[in-house]
Amino acid sequence: MDETFVSARKKKDTSGLVVQWIGYLFIGLFALCCLLPFLLVLGTSFTSESAIKLSGFNFWPKEFSTFAYKIVFENPDLIIGSYIVTIVMTIVGTAIGLLLVAMTGYALQRPDFMYRNKISFFIYFTTLFSGGLVPFYLLITQYLHLKDNYLAVLLPGLLSPFLIIMMKSFVRSIPHAITESAKIDGAGDFTIFLRLILPMTTPALATIGLFIALGYWNEWYNSMLFLSPDMKYRTLQLFLYNVITSADFVRNSAAASNVQLRDVPLESMKMATAVVATGPVILFYPFVQRYFIKGITVGAVKG
Amino acid sequence: MGIKKASGMLLTLLLLFTLAACGGGNNAANNGENTTNDTGNKDSSAPDTSKFVKISYVVLGDKPKNGQFEKVLAKVNEIMKEKINAELEWKWVEWADWQTKYNLLLASGEKVDLITIGTDWLDTWANAQRGAFMNLDELLPRYAPETWKSVPEKDWNESRYNGKIVLIPENDYTQWVNHGFFYRGDWAKEAGLNEPIKNWEEIGQYLQYIKDNKPDVIPWDMASGAVTWGGYIQSYTDNLDLPLSTGYMPVFTAVSNDEKYTVAEPIFSDLFLNYAKLMKEWADKGFWREDALNNKNDNRIALKAGLSGLDQHHTQTFSTLRVEMDKAEPGSELQMFPFNRTGGKNLMELSITHGGTSLGAHSKNPERALMAYDLIRNNEEIYHLINYGIEGVQYEIKDGKRTLPANYNEASDSFYADFWGGRMDKFEIPSETVWSEIGTLYDEYDKIKIPYPYGQFVFDKTPVESELTAISQVAGELGPAINFGKVSDPAKAVEEFRAKIKTAGYDKVKAELQKQLDAFKQKMEDAK
Repeated sequence: MDETFVSARKKKDTSGLVVQWIGYLFIGLFALCCLLPFLLVLGTSFTSESAIKLSGFNFWPKEFSTFAYKIVFENPDLIIGSYIVTIVMTIVGTAIGLLLVAMTGYALQRPDFMYRNKISFFIYFTTLFSGGLVPFYLLITQYLHLKDNYLAVLLPGLLSPFLIIMMKSFVRSIPHAITESAKIDGAGDFTIFLRLILPMTTPALATIGLFIALGYWNEWYNSMLFLSPDMKYRTLQLFLYNVITSADFVRNSAAASNVQLRDVPLESMKMATAVVATGPVILFYPFVQRYFIKGITVGAVKG
Repeated sequence: MGIKKASGMLLTLLLLFTLAACGGGNNAANNGENTTNDTGNKDSSAPDTSKFVKISYVVLGDKPKNGQFEKVLAKVNEIMKEKINAELEWKWVEWADWQTKYNLLLASGEKVDLITIGTDWLDTWANAQRGAFMNLDELLPRYAPETWKSVPEKDWNESRYNGKIVLIPENDYTQWVNHGFFYRGDWAKEAGLNEPIKNWEEIGQYLQYIKDNKPDVIPWDMASGAVTWGGYIQSYTDNLDLPLSTGYMPVFTAVSNDEKYTVAEPIFSDLFLNYAKLMKEWADKGFWREDALNNKNDNRIALKAGLSGLDQHHTQTFSTLRVEMDKAEPGSELQMFPFNRTGGKNLMELSITHGGTSLGAHSKNPERALMAYDLIRNNEEIYHLINYGIEGVQYEIKDGKRTLPANYNEASDSFYADFWGGRMDKFEIPSETVWSEIGTLYDEYDKIKIPYPYGQFVFDKTPVESELTAISQVAGELGPAINFGKVSDPAKAVEEFRAKIKTAGYDKVKAELQKQLDAFKQKMEDAK
């Protein structure tokens, strides 16, 4: 990339320069649009509630306060526990999920797999029609008996039809001849998949992996449904969600109106939970970002 | 071939689903029968408590994290063990998406024993229809005799679905959630108003006095969410609220207590125009902020800081706010003008099934569960433990009032059980945080109150769902400007509101509502 810029400057191609600067300007503005809200969140999370009430949200805290974080971190062992649950869930879920998605995607597009269309139909079918919430809940709690079990959160996130379709169309760009030639050389199916196909699909794996990982990182709904408050540690997002809803409820509730309430800094607390929830993802993102870009471009070029 | 096969499969699947659904219903019914048979066989002998069992009680709320709840429950369970050889387990449905989770819990046929219900906010009748609750007619007299005796027959009638008792109402607990204005008694006196304030004109005079004489005070620092249209209806008509939400503003009411099954149209009467004019007048006089529509401030905080002279909420809030105000603004003498005071014919009691307890249809130990409930409700010691915690840790009694102990620490000592399924006035200990003279207001209410007529009325929205959404949308779009007096010409705004709401399908919803109210009337008369 740098070389093209240098050569452009050498040629003193002014039109190129204009395009370049417009590009910088546009991307710069766009980046700012993404960055500013986050800074606002960060700033507000450190502002005292009374200052928020008086002068609204601010980039720079008018009255510095860490009270919101104090409430969020009131029970440090709980938040650390939830962090660990979420991190383990994300790592394990992503690893297993990736393997399963890649295997399914690969198998489904192999021309010598007889029932590929029928099985594909089964998978697509679920994207069009689903049983709905009650059957899903019944399946997990009554048949699989996974209530209050981390598996209830882990299992449903492993395979998603959308990701399988993505994987399938990516693997399709790898000529079947490769599989065939490996077969002639005496390789078994697993060897072909692990040694030949997987390495060639790294960009797709990175992309899909990020999707799965974000899915697990942001997961709260299944944990809300299946992990009851009797479990001490649940996923991070659910924990944070509860911190907010209970504060919200305490403030608005009619039913609880005879209970003595303490002051809860609701606005700054919302921001603090947002920071706590996004922080690690922001730190982690730059490391996978390059795969992410590659995964999408490669997919686009080969269509 | 492919299509045929696929459609065949679909059919099979559909069949399976319907079968499964029917099976569920049958099971629930069978369970009910079995239990009644059991009790029939073992009649007249004392209930068998030889086997130790655990009874679950589903409540709504976030589980307390400081460990106090467990300590209290352990104390409760000591008594439970001794009396009925059972142990209570509290199961919490947290506020995160509680509606979904609560209904799923019942739909899935999980083996819950006792469960908090509320006909007006927890879909109780719909769940009863799905067979989620056990029939209690036979069980109650035998296993919860004290409760059975203490609830009058007319209250049991409110608790029946298809003629069978499916819930135990919270019928002995006073809560008033009727709305009204809170104003400062000291300023009202200064303004020369003869207390208590009885109508909106006097509220207007009061606000005008503040505007003229208290330069630092915004007479009514109302925030964007405030709506008083419902209150205005209550003050100037005999109309009754209906359990049907039309978003930002109530659009349908019932004519009066005498004609409680006839739909009234407050939006299409002069009332709405009067209201719009009054709000416009108040806004022009500067009773609230120019930017009140975007005001996110907390009115109540401003009131406590002496920066606002008026607030609006329900009686329960007032009962504690008065105490806080006496501390924050000594001498302020906060008063409440309940909207119903003006006409005095439409103050409805809170439905006795706003809170209550049911027994899950799949409960394993229905007998013992009811025995446990009977104790929670009628044993003073257990009642105090569950509602207030341990004396000396969570509360102390000083001059007959509940107060916080000296070394009480909110974070580590606070306690609540979210028990809203059968509170009793006779066991309630007055709290220091509740105004001691709130009784005067209650006495006033007792003179004019009417029983809640719609406890068993459930509006089935399905035939008019899209119209209702459209109406709510119109109300949310045009309502705020009218409520805040931010229209240049109230008459025109009211006309526009009416026209748009007609287009949204007002007449269809009204017809459907009337139809369902007629059916409800028939049902209520048949029951008599």
